[in-house]
Amino acid sequence: MRPRTTLAAVGALLLITSSSGCSQDSQSSSATGTNVMTIPTQTGVIAANPGDSQGPAAEVPDATNGGTITIIRESKISHLDPPRVYSFAALMNAPLYSRFLTTWKDDGKGDLTLVGDLATTPGTNVNGDCRVWEYTIKDGLEFEDGQPITSKEIAYGIARSFDPDLTSGPTYLQEWLSGTPQYDTAWDFKANKTSLPPGLTTPDAKTLRFQFADPHCDLPFAASLPTSAPVPADKDTGVDYDTKPVSSGPYKITENTPGVQLVLERNANWDPATDPVRHQYPDKFVWTFGPDPDAAASRVIADNGPDQSAVAWNGVPASLVAKVAADPALQERTLLSPTPSANRLTINTQRVTDLSVRQALNYAIDRDGLVKALGGETVASPTTTLMPPGTLGYRQYDAYPAGPNGNIDKAKQLLAGRTPELVLGAADDSSGQEVATQLKANLEKAGFTITVKSIPADSKLDETKKKDNPWDLYVDSWAADWPSGAAILPVLFDGRTIRADGNSNSSFVNSDAVNAEFDRILALDPDQQTSEWAAVDEQIMTELAPAVPLYVDVADNIHGSKAGGLFISGIFGSPAFVNAYVKQ
Amino acid sequence: MGRFLLKRSFSALLTLLAVSVLTFLMFFVLPRDPVTGMCPKNCNPERLERVRQELGLSDPKVEQYLGYIKGIFVGRDLSSAQGGYCDAPCLGYSYVNNEPVSATITRVLPVTISIVVPAAILWLSLGIGLGMVSAVHRGTWLDRAAIGFALTGASLQLYFVGGVLLLAFTYHWGIAPVPHYTPFLDNPVDWAGGLVLAWVALALLFSAIYARLSRAQMLETLSEDFIRTARAKGVPRSQVYGRHALRAAITPLVTIAGLDIGAALGGTVITEITFGLQGLGRTAVDAVRSGDLPTIMATVLVAAFFIVTANLVVDLLYAAIDPRVRLK
Amino acid sequence: MNATRGPERQLEEATLSSGPSENRGGTTVAGRSPAQLTWLRLRRDRTAVISGVTLVVLLVIALAAPLIEWMYGIGPQDQFQHALDRYGMPVGPGGGVSGEHWFGLEPGLGRDIFIRMTAGMRTSLLIAFAAATITSALGVVAGTLAGYVGGWVDSSIGWFIDVALALPFLIFALAVVPTVSLRFYGPREAVPAGFQVAVIIGIFAVFGWAGTARLVRGQVVSLREREFVDAARVSGAGLGHILFRELLPNLWAPILVSFSLALPAYITAEAALSFLGIGVLEPVPDLGRMIERSLGYLQTDPAYVFFPGITIFVVVFAFNLFGDALRDALDPRSTR
Repeated sequence: MRPRTTLAAVGALLLITSSSGCSQDSQSSSATGTNVMTIPTQTGVIAANPGDSQGPAAEVPDATNGGTITIIRESKISHLDPPRVYSFAALMNAPLYSRFLTTWKDDGKGDLTLVGDLATTPGTNVNGDCRVWEYTIKDGLEFEDGQPITSKEIAYGIARSFDPDLTSGPTYLQEWLSGTPQYDTAWDFKANKTSLPPGLTTPDAKTLRFQFADPHCDLPFAASLPTSAPVPADKDTGVDYDTKPVSSGPYKITENTPGVQLVLERNANWDPATDPVRHQYPDKFVWTFGPDPDAAASRVIADNGPDQSAVAWNGVPASLVAKVAADPALQERTLLSPTPSANRLTINTQRVTDLSVRQALNYAIDRDGLVKALGGETVASPTTTLMPPGTLGYRQYDAYPAGPNGNIDKAKQLLAGRTPELVLGAADDSSGQEVATQLKANLEKAGFTITVKSIPADSKLDETKKKDNPWDLYVDSWAADWPSGAAILPVLFDGRTIRADGNSNSSFVNSDAVNAEFDRILALDPDQQTSEWAAVDEQIMTELAPAVPLYVDVADNIHGSKAGGLFISGIFGSPAFVNAYVKQ
Repeated sequence: MGRFLLKRSFSALLTLLAVSVLTFLMFFVLPRDPVTGMCPKNCNPERLERVRQELGLSDPKVEQYLGYIKGIFVGRDLSSAQGGYCDAPCLGYSYVNNEPVSATITRVLPVTISIVVPAAILWLSLGIGLGMVSAVHRGTWLDRAAIGFALTGASLQLYFVGGVLLLAFTYHWGIAPVPHYTPFLDNPVDWAGGLVLAWVALALLFSAIYARLSRAQMLETLSEDFIRTARAKGVPRSQVYGRHALRAAITPLVTIAGLDIGAALGGTVITEITFGLQGLGRTAVDAVRSGDLPTIMATVLVAAFFIVTANLVVDLLYAAIDPRVRLK
Repeated sequence: MNATRGPERQLEEATLSSGPSENRGGTTVAGRSPAQLTWLRLRRDRTAVISGVTLVVLLVIALAAPLIEWMYGIGPQDQFQHALDRYGMPVGPGGGVSGEHWFGLEPGLGRDIFIRMTAGMRTSLLIAFAAATITSALGVVAGTLAGYVGGWVDSSIGWFIDVALALPFLIFALAVVPTVSLRFYGPREAVPAGFQVAVIIGIFAVFGWAGTARLVRGQVVSLREREFVDAARVSGAGLGHILFRELLPNLWAPILVSFSLALPAYITAEAALSFLGIGVLEPVPDLGRMIERSLGYLQTDPAYVFFPGITIFVVVFAFNLFGDALRDALDPRSTR
């Protein structure tokens, strides 16, 4: 079939082009000139070989069975119910008790492959137009109680995600199937529990079909999110399902005390032969909630008793970084990796209308000083691009080369004697305040007059997303749901999505040329798109300068001496547990 | 006495009502709208508005308040998103924690009680003991040492003491277990081990207050005539101090202690944050930060209840001891 | 707010039965007023002198902060990031202590600790004094009215006191403080430090008056039954006269002690607010916020914890010591 051959051929092509395109390691540099780590060349591909989607997953070297992995986190996991899972902790927890249509095979070093999880392949583009997708479900899949998993259970799982009571999760599948962001009114789940939403069909127990009005070539990626997890209809308890969802993964939830502890134990009905990614080495996973990042890091550093097989989820705080960095023994049990979470100083182009001023901001910025203020290279890695390194097809460029400490003279030159007065909206928590102080002192050297306006931390995001927000500058962060430019650039810079509220395009740029480019690229085959996004990235920065790219979050997580197989997910930048084991 | 009790109880109830109204008004100034917090990335305003309606957040404020109060006494109907019907006492449904608020309170209240009550016993014994010793040996180095210790404790900052204790005993020497809460009935030893550092920190700080208090009170009592008479009569010193002086000195101390404990039960926020324990205070702070009004209301009402009850008990004690109070 | 109410209560009990020392037995020595006697006793008490002098020194430093800054040469906002290593930690022993930076540098932003502490102490002392003064004043007025007039005035003021004491201070502060400035200043205007300080003083005032009021009320209730008040009333003295010329002069002792014990309580309380992130915000220097941030660095940069921690301890300790000594000096019986 044409699509398969195309995928196979392009898959090979991708491997070649992506490895040559990204072969320049994007290195983090600092004023002292040494590198703490190199950002891995992230190659990602949709698996062409069906063998990739088959289990069992490759054995982890030296892994042994038994033991308990403890994960220490400050706040509880917001949701366990698969369609409501969206925070990083919830997303890394979900693969333990849940399987999805597709999933990422991640080697922890930058190699990502999208494979079929419950499905035999990442998805068949039936007519080649990305409007009709078909999945064949594997045999031998069971829930924790032995009930079989068929296409009906997966379809039910997707159908119940239309329930407006089940808030907080991603809405891709719902919006694409119903064709509108108001999916809950387009199809009422509660009134139609026995039927399926429009476009979703199950011709037989082994087949699942998506039919979209518009082309969505990213469906394989979206299907990797937990919305596609199977749910048995007779066990669906609505909002209460969140406390103890039925497991389809290697572990099941045995104890859930909100805010205190979450315990997962082995699920005997998980068949490793069907699973290309997961393992079942430890007997138990225990999430412990409450300790703040300092306390968690301190106890894992101390490595006493059960903490020897623990991992501090919240990462090593800036205050303890120096201690960990100075000790080689601690270094050995630190997971250090850049994440896909990119931070930028967004410029409200409705207010800062002069391109030269925006360019001057880009020249004035002292990224090195900012990284120091945040806690150094193990906390933040400076970046000059809008897409984070690690995005498929990434290409490093610097539209406004200013050196690590900024080029104040060049900035002044661009301003030509002007002293623009800008208001920086900053969160009133301690890190927001520190960053704001740093930025203010930095930019004022170039002649800007910066007023820092404090916004209550919990509402800052909502406020800056409003079209008529009163500020000129604010620090924004974005982590794409899958590492493709399509999940970053059009979302953040397409002016046609601007509305009164809830804008991800918080620069409020609307350029016809750029919008046209987005349309053009999105119409291409997924494999052709990859290299195009990098070009658009540079185009946006050069023509519009809607933001000042600042830094990428670096994951710096410490674990106990007996915890093995942990790595930082290349998709979400958080510790992943699919290969975890306890050293005996 | 009965009339007095009735009057004070009625006043206490009014106080609680006032507290509930003020807390509800606080909602107007809260920075965070919890509903928008439910969609970190792809927020759809129209859909959120529907969620808001479902949760009853678009109703007039007075209606929301009355509904809440009614729920406390007779239970109320909540939308399906909040778990359907909610039995009395219904403290609402937390759309942030995704559980009925009464479940939250049932879980976090024992933690706060477990922190405060043993700590109170510790600080009272230590404080009063120190104060007595200091008063009896007035002017000697013992007195000065005790007062010095008391003043040092009173001048320390709780989060500072907590941080140092944790560093020394938990992380560095590994003597004390990492602070956590285990219900007393499950494992008393573990319960104590997980909370001991919090008790010590609180005791260090608060015993100071009671040391000074009891010292002053004891000195006061010791200068009374009846003590002089007892000494003149040849009553042994231990009896003078133990039976006569201590009893007279203790009464005001106990009443003050009662009020302090009542207030402490209302929310040991800093202790809980410093030691990472999920008690009433910590829950309240998290609720305020995320705009979770039902949880805020519940935690504030529970805390106020403790304070008001403690006040009532103290007033009753005073009335029982001092008849003048009753006649007013 | 245990810390604030504790000393009030203790005072209530300790001074309940101490009355005015107007007539101290007929002697041929020229009579001294109670104030003079107190001052004499204070002067003779060594701890009082030491703590008093310390406090005066601290006050002078706080008041002269701009002068000190001028002499020191470094401002509280000046950054020295070139003296930080790649992890943002200050290079050099003791967290960057040197001839140029007496107490070293802050990790991250690289600002000078000494000058920030000087400025921070100024803020803390200002807030503590203002809050203590306002709450004392409000409390005295409310307590005196309630205690003397009695009846429904007493009941209603008493009820207000109950409500104020039942409200959880930290929770309300957490909800109100961050949003108050938003209502007074436009979304693009910076909130001046003065306003932030005023908000904090305000919230202390709203919650703090109740304790003093209760204390004063208790005192007034016991005083109003005394003969001299009766005498004044019988001889036709008006309410104002009784309040200001008869009652108040006999209340100044407990009020003064309550004030001096409230000061360290407010310093601690303001630091607690900063610990929760609702004190004064950056870039205004603040001791509480500095301590809160420094605690995380206890293992990696202990000097950063040491300097502000010791400072706030010394300040609070000196206040407590002086308050104790003052109370001892005011109470004639304690000298026996």
